[in-house]
Amino acid sequence: MKLLDIIELLRTKAAKRIAYGALIILIVVDFIIPRHEIHFFGDKVPGFWSLFGFIACVLIIIVSKWVGHMGLMQDENYYDE
Amino acid sequence: MIPLFKGKVKQGYMLAVALLAFFAVVVMPYGTYGVYEFLNWKLTFGEVDKLSKVFAYIFTIMGVIGVIYSIHVKNDGEHFAAFYYVGGSLGVTFAGDFLTLFLFWEMMAFSSVFLVWFRKSPASINSGFRYLLWHVAGGLILLAGIIIQYSASGDLSVQYVPFHGWWPTDLQSLASFLIVIGFIVNAAVPPFGAWLPDAYPAATVTGAVFMSAFTTKTAVYALIRVCAGSEMLIVLGVVMAIYGVVYAVLENDARRLLAYHIISQVGYMVAGVGLGTPLAINGVVAHAFCHILYKSLLFMGTGSVLHVTGISKLTELGGLYKTMPRTMIYTVIGGLSISAFPLFSGFVSKSMTVTAFGEAHLTWAFMALMLASAGTFLHTGLKVPYFIWFGKDRGIKAQEPPFNMELAMIIGSLFCVGLGIFYKPLYALLPHTVHFEPYTAYHIWESLQVLLFTQLGFFLLLKKLWCEDTISLDTDWFPRKGAKVLMWLTKPLARIEYNFIGEIYEFIIQKPIMGAAKIFKVIDTVVVDGSLNGLGKLTLFMSRKMKNAQSGQIQHYAMYMVAGFISLIIIGMVLS
Repeated sequence: MKLLDIIELLRTKAAKRIAYGALIILIVVDFIIPRHEIHFFGDKVPGFWSLFGFIACVLIIIVSKWVGHMGLMQDENYYDE
Repeated sequence: MIPLFKGKVKQGYMLAVALLAFFAVVVMPYGTYGVYEFLNWKLTFGEVDKLSKVFAYIFTIMGVIGVIYSIHVKNDGEHFAAFYYVGGSLGVTFAGDFLTLFLFWEMMAFSSVFLVWFRKSPASINSGFRYLLWHVAGGLILLAGIIIQYSASGDLSVQYVPFHGWWPTDLQSLASFLIVIGFIVNAAVPPFGAWLPDAYPAATVTGAVFMSAFTTKTAVYALIRVCAGSEMLIVLGVVMAIYGVVYAVLENDARRLLAYHIISQVGYMVAGVGLGTPLAINGVVAHAFCHILYKSLLFMGTGSVLHVTGISKLTELGGLYKTMPRTMIYTVIGGLSISAFPLFSGFVSKSMTVTAFGEAHLTWAFMALMLASAGTFLHTGLKVPYFIWFGKDRGIKAQEPPFNMELAMIIGSLFCVGLGIFYKPLYALLPHTVHFEPYTAYHIWESLQVLLFTQLGFFLLLKKLWCEDTISLDTDWFPRKGAKVLMWLTKPLARIEYNFIGEIYEFIIQKPIMGAAKIFKVIDTVVVDGSLNGLGKLTLFMSRKMKNAQSGQIQHYAMYMVAGFISLIIIGMVLS
């Protein structure tokens, strides 16, 4: 099946390397891209949104899990007792 | 009408009705229609302008997609409920006065609850009752607001009464305040939003697709119409956007995770309504339009998995990419759209709202919404597809869903991609003139950076993100556990009553009655029995007949009541 082959292809090591390469290109191009809609300081810093995306992701996961383990997460039968 | 037809005819009829509704909206000219005098009220059923029309478009498009997706369902009641539900949302959209709006508002709540109940599991029945309780409470607050509004201004027409500040100061602002609260219960703004992640995952596979589209978005429509520019909504909306993301991290049920993301996405809309600038309002309307399409697509994708495998928990799913690859593609398209990836529908709509915050120099809100965007991609774009289709292969037997379900997903996907590329027709439908160009180099680059580095974070922290088999407490803890506390408090009281009052009762009432009963029994057996036996047989026969109509389930009675109520209104209108 063709569709399956494509999906399998995306799971290989080579595809992973290309993805990392793309991330580097993203930052490099951000140094030269024209900026016209500057809303605040972050828009002037090259690579700002890359850092933002990464930190946002890490923050969301860690903070949410921390809040969850503070007592928000309960056993599935919690309400049935 | 639906139960009158069978088989293919029924399916064709349902599709025809849904399509007709769409074309009726297309040809509908602007203006005011359907004004009825009812008692002393003037009820306006058709207030058509640009804002109501764009919402009517998307509601009817969604109606068609939903009907296609659910056309294989055998249960007529479910179709019935879905049609009433869609009709209710259209009624709210076109309502010209608050009473009509309230009427359709309640009709939506009472019809959609059946989509939960028809799942027929004890959990969904309980969940449906809680859903109804939230909505009845919200509806009553709305009604109170409407009544105060009428007494303050003497005018019932749906009008612009924004609420400023955090607390009502005079009668008019009290009315606006209550109306806003009534609306935001339906928009699932925390702390009133717990009904949404409670009820949607409990609904039937097809029911959840309908539900994801209508209730919250009619609330957004009502908010735009009545209270755009209420500053309170900015804060609530931003909190809501983040709150949905946090809960989505913790969630294990795929459909509940998506439900939390509805809250997050509606947060953008509520915040945009609070800002109230033309750009923000355009963004909100466009976002509601796209959101209905991609969110229903996501619910269709995960619903198909549930339909085929019977599982929706991420801890129990995995490795389905070999058996359901096409469903995966559709779901990923939905995921990329909701995350506002360039070339997908979310990109042309969400960015409008976010840019409006940038232009208003509300940097904190702007940053918070960008953060929520990263979270959206993290969960809907990455976590859901990863844990269902990749992750740990659990060797679940599966195949692609039935043809009609797939067709609905294809249509949804085409809309998501199509709107992302050809966005001009959508922009032309928006209530204000659009001076916004989504595809600028910097904007594309900014989005790509945020999204792709989120993806990097996802794969680096995958171990930490592994799902846990738990549920998360929400504000419905208070009604749910609170009720138990109340029961526990009243328990000693009940015991006193039982022991003390019970004994008195026995002594004073029961004993004399028993004595009298003995005497009566003698008379009864001798005299009355003979004549009554014949009557008894007749009653028995009648009640056997009646039994078929009475299922003993309160849901069915409620449905008869609602149906009767609606037909009474229609009769009343025809006669007056």
